[in-house]
Amino acid sequence: MIITDNLTKQYGEAVVLNQLNLNIKAGEIYCLLGANGAGKTTTINLLLGFLKPTSGCAFINGLNVDENPKKTKRFLAYIPENLMLYPTLSAVENLEYFSGIGGKSLKKSELEEFLSQAGLQKSAFHQRISNFSKGMRQKVGIAIALAKNAKSLLLDEPTSGLDPKASNEFGQLLENLRGQGVAILMATHDLFRAKEVATHIGIMKNGQLRQEFDANNLSLAELEQAYLDTMDYKELVQ
Amino acid sequence: MYKYNFIYELKTLLRSGWIQFLSVLLLVLFGFASFNGSQKVEKRELDIASIKKQVNESDQKMLAQLDSIERGLNVNASRWTIPSGPTAVGNYHPRIAAMPPSAMAFIATGQSDLFTHYVKPTMAGDDFALNFTEISSPVQQLFGSFDLSFVIIYLLPLIIIAFSYNILSSERETGSLKLLASQPISIHIWVLQKIGIRFLWIATLTVILLLGTLLIFGGPIDSGTMFSFIGLTIAYILFWFALAFVVNLQASNSAKNAITILGLWLVFVLLAPSIINQLGSTIYPMPSRTLMINKMRTVKAEVTEKQDEILDNFLRDHPEYAINDPNQSRRFYHRYMASQDVVKKELEPIVNEFENQLDKQQTWVGKLKWISPAIVMQQALNEVSGSSTKDYENYRGQVIGFAETWRQHLIPFLYNNQSFTSSDYEDLPSFTFKPLTPKTSGISALAILAISVVIGTLGIAFSPRVKSSKTLLF
Repeated sequence: MIITDNLTKQYGEAVVLNQLNLNIKAGEIYCLLGANGAGKTTTINLLLGFLKPTSGCAFINGLNVDENPKKTKRFLAYIPENLMLYPTLSAVENLEYFSGIGGKSLKKSELEEFLSQAGLQKSAFHQRISNFSKGMRQKVGIAIALAKNAKSLLLDEPTSGLDPKASNEFGQLLENLRGQGVAILMATHDLFRAKEVATHIGIMKNGQLRQEFDANNLSLAELEQAYLDTMDYKELVQ
Repeated sequence: MYKYNFIYELKTLLRSGWIQFLSVLLLVLFGFASFNGSQKVEKRELDIASIKKQVNESDQKMLAQLDSIERGLNVNASRWTIPSGPTAVGNYHPRIAAMPPSAMAFIATGQSDLFTHYVKPTMAGDDFALNFTEISSPVQQLFGSFDLSFVIIYLLPLIIIAFSYNILSSERETGSLKLLASQPISIHIWVLQKIGIRFLWIATLTVILLLGTLLIFGGPIDSGTMFSFIGLTIAYILFWFALAFVVNLQASNSAKNAITILGLWLVFVLLAPSIINQLGSTIYPMPSRTLMINKMRTVKAEVTEKQDEILDNFLRDHPEYAINDPNQSRRFYHRYMASQDVVKKELEPIVNEFENQLDKQQTWVGKLKWISPAIVMQQALNEVSGSSTKDYENYRGQVIGFAETWRQHLIPFLYNNQSFTSSDYEDLPSFTFKPLTPKTSGISALAILAISVVIGTLGIAFSPRVKSSKTLLF
């Protein structure tokens, strides 16, 4: 479960996140849409404990992130926009390393199973990451989350730069994770992918959550319109 | 976490071309420096062997001449070089006072390229003013040869810097730091472990290389000296890793980190020794050597004018020589040797002035050396290799002592007008150098170790970015 309660972040006078309230339950995918600087990444950084909130709280699995930074990370997986792993290590080795330092010791067969579940081709298991495409690296990132048995997953622009096929595969992986009861928060610019995978969608602007939708009750066109309305693009064009 | 950090850092190191290159470079530098140092040691040994051979040949010639004289044959030589005369033995057949290199001499050239390693003190020589007073730069050795100490003190820190300057910043720049930070770990502990593993890598590699070079180039070495040497080097490596750790915790970008650590290298290795040296020379300047030589000449000229009076005084102080000389035959050397004591006494204050100033310079450097571990290391390595100022002072003291022994052995022959015979040859004193035992290298190693720990601890305590770990990532 991912909860934010009036979560606010200020740098001096500048309010970059203003009283954000989210409640993402197990088995839900919440997509945060918004232009650059809307506050999406700040939200994720606050949930990861990388930033200290000015006011309000963030909760992962019922634990206050600011008070329990290490404990909350045990239930949490994170995939950044550009997932950079160790290029001289193979996929299996990267997975073993990140699982190991997180306190999980896994057998080789288990590591390979997680990579398979994440959709990585078997032939790539023992190849060095330096030869991997971004899509393949994202799959290793998903495998890290699976190996960690994370209850919450935070994704920051995970599909940017992915080709449509890779993006589609990534969407299917998220579906699988959702089916396993993982609460997912994804910050993205990709309206199409958001509509495809999300259970809930929120549109942010200037640090505020302006609109929220149940993704099942919204068409892609309606979503696009709502997004443009929120961003005041019409006014800008006029 | 440590197990996985250790295994995968090791894998990464072994697979990194850059790290492999640095490791090979270290091997090449150690090999070349050790070879270079051993060549110098070999030359020194050959020089001493060659001069010993010359003396041996000269002795054989002397014995042959003595044998001819004792059989009543004529000897074809200048009158003053015929060895039946004690002054001829004392001046033309002196012994060798040599300082052989220690088993670990190849490590550090130290003062060995400034001073001679063998002296032939003669009966009439000015041994009390032996040419050891030229030392005016107690840390001149820091700008010395390409030997193992140069590699350890100057170049090894640069390799450590290349190994460790961007441990954290590169993770930040490539983007993997956020992924790491999303794991339930402390980034500071992670950096400490990572830098610790790299320290272990360099330290292990260095110890293996040192043991290898000691095995190939060193002589029989006592275990205490060997452990001191290895301990010192490990402590010095730790010092540079401690600095790198602190700079890494500042979490700046890689370029800024590199410049900062290189700046610290410049301060500790070049600037601090140079400034301390310059201040030492300015505060305690060495007296003029020309002035000393002039004074010596003046004193000798004055003494020459009063030689008869000096000889009378000398014989009054040594009645045993007057009694044993029925002819009272007194020639040049009787007067000269008697006047030597007077000259020595007259010049003592000037010679002492050199000694005192040198002592003061040494004390100055000794007090301030803790500012820079590079100075501590250089002094300790010189001591381990037997090429420190203290070692040469010890040698000088022994040579002066031996010169006096040599003179005192032959003076009774001179004043008793007694001929030197082949049977007296065996009784001639000989010189055996007694080296100092390195005493401070263990303390120096512990001191550098303590400095490293303090730097690491203060770095953690006062690093503003550590207090707020969240800012480490951005």
